[in-house]
Amino acid sequence: MRSGPRKTRILWLLLALFCLTAPSFAQTVVKGRVTDAGNNQTLPGVNVFVKGTTVGGTTDLDGNYTISVKSPDDRIVFRLVGYSNQEIKIGNHTKLDVALTADIVNLDELVVMGYSEKKRTEISSAVAVLTMDKMKDVTSGNIANMLQGKVSGVQVVSGSGAPGSEAEIRIRGVASLSAPKGPLVVVDGIIGGNYDPNDVETITILKDAGATGMYGSQANGGVIVVTTKKGKSDKTQFDFKSSVGFRMADQGHLSMLSGSQLYDAQKEIYRDYGSGKIDILKFYNERPLELDSRNFNWINEMFKPALVQNYYLSARGRSDKFGYYLGASVFGEGGTFKNTGFQKANLRANTSYKFSNSVSVENNINISVNKGSSFDYMDMYYSYLSMPWDTPYDENGKIRYVDGTSTNWWSRDKINPLHTVNNSDHTFKGMDMNYDFVFNARFTNWLSFISSNRASLSSSKSHNFVSKLAAGTYHNKGYISEGNEMGFGGVTTNLFKFNYDTRNHSFSGLAGFEGQGSYYESLSAEGKGLPEGFEVINVASSEFLIGGLNNKSMMSSFISQFNYSYKGTYFITGSYRIDATSAFPPANRTARFPSAAISWLASNEQFIKKFTAVDLLKFRLSYGITGMKDIGAYQYLGLFSLNTQYNNSAAAIPFQLPNPNLTWEKTHQLNFGIDLSLFKRVSLNIDLYNNVTKDLLIQVAQPLSVGFEKKWENIGEVDNKGLEITLSTINVKTPSFEWSTDFTFGMNSNKLSGIGAPIYRTVNGIAQIYKDGGELYMFVLPKWLGVDPQTGAPQWEKLEKDDNGLIINRSATSDYAQATPQEIKSALPDYQGGIASTIRYKNLSLNMNFSYMVGNYVYNFSRRMMDNDGHEPYYNLMEWKYGWKRWTAPGDLATHPSIQNSALSTENSSRYLENGSYLKIRNITFRYDLPKSFAKKLKLEGLAVSASGENIYTFTNYWGQDPEVTISPSSFQMPGVSDFKYPANRQYIFTLEVKF
Amino acid sequence: MKNKITALLFIIGVLVWVTGCKLDVVPTDAINTSSLLNTSDGLLNVTNGSYALLKDNIEFGGYVDQNNNYLRQYFQMSDFASDDITCAQVTEDPLFYSFTTTHSPDQANSRFFWYISYKIINSTNTVIELTENSADKDAATKQLIGENYFLRAFCHFNLLRLYAKPYSIDPSAPGVIIRKSTSDKAQMARSTVKECYDFVISDLQKAASFMDVSRGPQYASKAAAWAMLSRVYLYMEDNTKTISYADSVINSGKFNLETAKGFKEYFPNAASSTETIFLVAFTTADNKGKFGSISSMIYSDGNSGWGEEFASKSLRDEMAPHPEDIRWSYIDSLSDGNGGIAKKNGIETFYITKFSNQGGDPNLSSPVMFRLAEMYLNRAEAFAKSGNTTGALADVDLIRSNRGLENALYNGVLPSGSSVLDVVLKERRLELAFEGQRVFDVYRNKRSMNRSYWGYHLTGLVATDIDLTKTPQGYANEIVDWTNPRIIYFIPVDEVLANPLCTQNP
Repeated sequence: MRSGPRKTRILWLLLALFCLTAPSFAQTVVKGRVTDAGNNQTLPGVNVFVKGTTVGGTTDLDGNYTISVKSPDDRIVFRLVGYSNQEIKIGNHTKLDVALTADIVNLDELVVMGYSEKKRTEISSAVAVLTMDKMKDVTSGNIANMLQGKVSGVQVVSGSGAPGSEAEIRIRGVASLSAPKGPLVVVDGIIGGNYDPNDVETITILKDAGATGMYGSQANGGVIVVTTKKGKSDKTQFDFKSSVGFRMADQGHLSMLSGSQLYDAQKEIYRDYGSGKIDILKFYNERPLELDSRNFNWINEMFKPALVQNYYLSARGRSDKFGYYLGASVFGEGGTFKNTGFQKANLRANTSYKFSNSVSVENNINISVNKGSSFDYMDMYYSYLSMPWDTPYDENGKIRYVDGTSTNWWSRDKINPLHTVNNSDHTFKGMDMNYDFVFNARFTNWLSFISSNRASLSSSKSHNFVSKLAAGTYHNKGYISEGNEMGFGGVTTNLFKFNYDTRNHSFSGLAGFEGQGSYYESLSAEGKGLPEGFEVINVASSEFLIGGLNNKSMMSSFISQFNYSYKGTYFITGSYRIDATSAFPPANRTARFPSAAISWLASNEQFIKKFTAVDLLKFRLSYGITGMKDIGAYQYLGLFSLNTQYNNSAAAIPFQLPNPNLTWEKTHQLNFGIDLSLFKRVSLNIDLYNNVTKDLLIQVAQPLSVGFEKKWENIGEVDNKGLEITLSTINVKTPSFEWSTDFTFGMNSNKLSGIGAPIYRTVNGIAQIYKDGGELYMFVLPKWLGVDPQTGAPQWEKLEKDDNGLIINRSATSDYAQATPQEIKSALPDYQGGIASTIRYKNLSLNMNFSYMVGNYVYNFSRRMMDNDGHEPYYNLMEWKYGWKRWTAPGDLATHPSIQNSALSTENSSRYLENGSYLKIRNITFRYDLPKSFAKKLKLEGLAVSASGENIYTFTNYWGQDPEVTISPSSFQMPGVSDFKYPANRQYIFTLEVKF
Repeated sequence: MKNKITALLFIIGVLVWVTGCKLDVVPTDAINTSSLLNTSDGLLNVTNGSYALLKDNIEFGGYVDQNNNYLRQYFQMSDFASDDITCAQVTEDPLFYSFTTTHSPDQANSRFFWYISYKIINSTNTVIELTENSADKDAATKQLIGENYFLRAFCHFNLLRLYAKPYSIDPSAPGVIIRKSTSDKAQMARSTVKECYDFVISDLQKAASFMDVSRGPQYASKAAAWAMLSRVYLYMEDNTKTISYADSVINSGKFNLETAKGFKEYFPNAASSTETIFLVAFTTADNKGKFGSISSMIYSDGNSGWGEEFASKSLRDEMAPHPEDIRWSYIDSLSDGNGGIAKKNGIETFYITKFSNQGGDPNLSSPVMFRLAEMYLNRAEAFAKSGNTTGALADVDLIRSNRGLENALYNGVLPSGSSVLDVVLKERRLELAFEGQRVFDVYRNKRSMNRSYWGYHLTGLVATDIDLTKTPQGYANEIVDWTNPRIIYFIPVDEVLANPLCTQNP
């Protein structure tokens, strides 16, 4: 390996000699060294190339480079992320040392935009780029968790701390009622795909239609373009990273009562309403004194610290013909809840081969396997609600079996969750393979063809098992259920690209077509009657059930884009995409998605150039249309479903009304942005947008007497308006000390219109309303008016309306049935963002990361159980917030009603709707880069150690586990409703990074 | 070389693109409504589907709730509002509102029941419309058509029982929405109770005339149509027709009352008993376990169910004089291990087992919709109302003699202080307890529901208030009079919002 660079250099020289067809020019070899202008340290990995050619390489570890040029007029470009480019005319030099200036924005940096790449100054759309450096502070198996608080306008919510779970991403609010999906992910230029965070080089987030319009019907939720690492330097570079640490369940403000606390709390149940006295004799009779000292801590039993580990090894390098990157990583996440965990291994091989200067191919393979162990919701539920008077262990320390006939068990449902967890399994396995083949041919110096193709295969298996020993419905029988799913997919994108420059005018663009298809198959089986100790389908003996189906979807597209710029100052971009999909009836299968963007690089104008402080000033304007079709297949057909039986015979049931006019949901996006960079120290981006989504695909409520609940229709609009600000500053910069900060801020408001009759969505009795002029995810609940100081009864607001629906009277009622449900607050935040700060002193750095969200309301559903006014005397209770008070006598100003006069007090109302605003210390990392000289002694090129704490503390008034609650409407989930959830993880990680 | 590869890739790309343009994709486990007649078993499958909907948990409100199936909601919404069952547990499950009469238009169980009823009606309409115009129908097809008429009537009638005032109280009150065509407008008004009853009767008469093939008690039959006609006329207080249709069933020679010995095992084995006229078949594949079976709320073997609702003291007091009554076998007390009866939140545990033990499984049963005993009781009530005391008491005695009470027959003599209707209704209560009849029997006879016993139907009750040696006093909701608007449910909010023509119940 050590001889590699020299060999490749020689090879390169030979090749240059043979291939170049202009032997009339003399070949000159230029050598030199590249350093950092700030601290004079040498810079490895700098791209050095002859402008307008692919001739070049990168600097070695000591910053040295060698390059051959053909003419004294050639210009050599030096490029490194985080630094300003340098461009030098070669003249007569044979030795050229260069100092690069660090820059807060690299104006010439190439940004990967999916189908194309652009220089940052050329971009006319709202685009954010994150390098992996900015994300790797968080140890996670997926990128979403790493993005939180780092990009303005991007909402990241980790609703669950379950091992293997991914955070939800929403770019610029929620644009769809039915399928509010996260962004489209594009990996290495091809739609979809699988990747490991360790393999990622950069992430580009496309936020407006000027950039996403190219993705047409798939881009309503924005686009995240992931670029994986490629071979860069001609010397093989190895990277090794090991992160090991532990995590604990973050229960937030939630703390359950101890046995003696509960004992005291239960005395309230025995308070006589009339006299206000506690009937202490009856209390001791029904709650023996010994309970006072029974203090079993269920939370500590069911949640334990768990190990987190991530190991990563990669090798990358290139010659002038061949480039490669090989990465392997293993990620192991212990679960804080009993019997849960997740492991993942990922292998990636990216290779490129240049047949000639005009033909090259890339082969990228990613293989990922995972397995994990999930949990049963009821086990989680009982872990919180079991009373501290019960202990899961018997006198001999064995786990107790408890069922409905058990005596001497206080908790309501007579279930020992520890016993259930230990006698059940909820595991899953998965595998994902992607193979990308990219072919690149350059015909002339302005025209090329690129064909990008991906084949993907995924397969997963779920396994649910309950032993016959477990209490509950499967007792003495046992239960097993397994499901296999398999999916194949393919994407082919074939584009002709052109690029033509004259002195003042520059034209570029692309045109081509894309085909996408996917096929999915599932098979499941379940059975009961399992012998003890066995958990495969084969040993089940009764009550077999099977299931299975397959489906497919197809899409064909035409893609085109045209860019023009004048004097590198005025830019115009237009794109046009046509998509045809199997999701809609024949007449509506094709949709067109145009977009246009213009921008003005004002800092290129002479009158601005006078102000030397201004590095960059740019104004951008874009407009375009994106679409959404993801409502599932066959939604336009009238169907009878055959997936049931009666008396063991085939049966068909009415499943769906025909919707012959169903069509695409489209978002019209307008964006205005300003980019400003000053003193090479300050960078400010401001974007304003207005996104109007029309023809919303909504399941419109039918009169139930039609026999169908809903019918898909295209009605109504949702308008998302917002402001995004990103401010990055280098506050202090000296050779040994540096301090920089990043602020991101995103504000989004949304409004519905054109819906007509309001649409309600109800899950667990909690309703949200979609109505004209309303907001998305708006809770509709009886309004809680606190406790009546005279009677101690709960109070809600009763509204009286006149015939026009106008409110003519508001009064308080203690009769829940009289309370009027009304709009209270939305689950979506008013604004959100993050603050990051990096302080570096010599080789020591401190990184801090905060994220915040303001104005989001969370329905604390589990509080209904844990703060229940005596309605559930056999549940444990939560500790109260400071200032809460129970009514005991007339005149009391209390927050909680009299237990004796609390009829229906825990029914759904705004009592449990809490402000979920928070500020979270996401991450603090200390990092020490060992001195190069020391590393060298170890024959290493770099060595760094770091220690980080993640999710350290959340400042919030929300009185529950965590105000971060899922915002995806799913079958069982209402956005913004917090049930007992898998708690978030607070983790502490030690990381070692080695380069060699 | 480069051009060749480019050309090749381009051609492959075009091919993929063109094949991708074939965008007609059909589901693999569903049939297009317009092709139902294209297969030999399309009509049969849809008819079976209508029965399946009586037991299946169908997606509603975006997900499949394991609690939500027609029969579970039917039994809970009727019996939990009666005086046969008491509630031992405050719960978030909307079944609670049947106990407390704190109904609301958006309670999930009622919304689902309304929805699924009309889904079955839509399914029956589909079959009826597809076959209406075909000229010669064979016996098997006619049987299927008859079954669809029967199911359409069955669903409309149960809706009437839960959402409309009893016929005997006000036949001109709003009934339910009659749906007899899939092409009707989405928005339709409620017909009157009388119009609805007329529609149900007309459907049942068509059903009886079409059905001549026997597919077993799991399917509707001519006798099932007669049995239902008898019940419908009983509710209309048309004594003659009640008697005549009950007679048609009784005299068909196909059905026999279980004896006391057989009755003990009747409910787990109803499909093989000749007492059964029509039941809804649950197979092992339909075992809904703890989270959705009908029995899970009213029985538990310790693991099988929640066991939160029990046989009421009121019912047990009625049965108390006759411990030999074989009908006690469907009430099962739970011991507390110290010789007493286990209590749940202060309420004594008397489990109900009429919906258990098919194939030995505590959660499995095939609920009986019509059985012969009811025909005798329908007839007895009609006799009683038409002044035929002897006939009424004879029918009652026939039931009692088959339920272990052969030594406690009336033998034509009315007990003092009781009317003949009292005797018939008492027997009807004991015989048909927990079978979704009691609540209607009380109110249609303009009687009030007396629930002066301990249970969480009492507004604001907490466990510490319970004193089993006393009768609860001073609680709201102890007695529900037949004039109370809450003897029926609100029309579900979804209907009223999306169909302004549909009026809400007061």
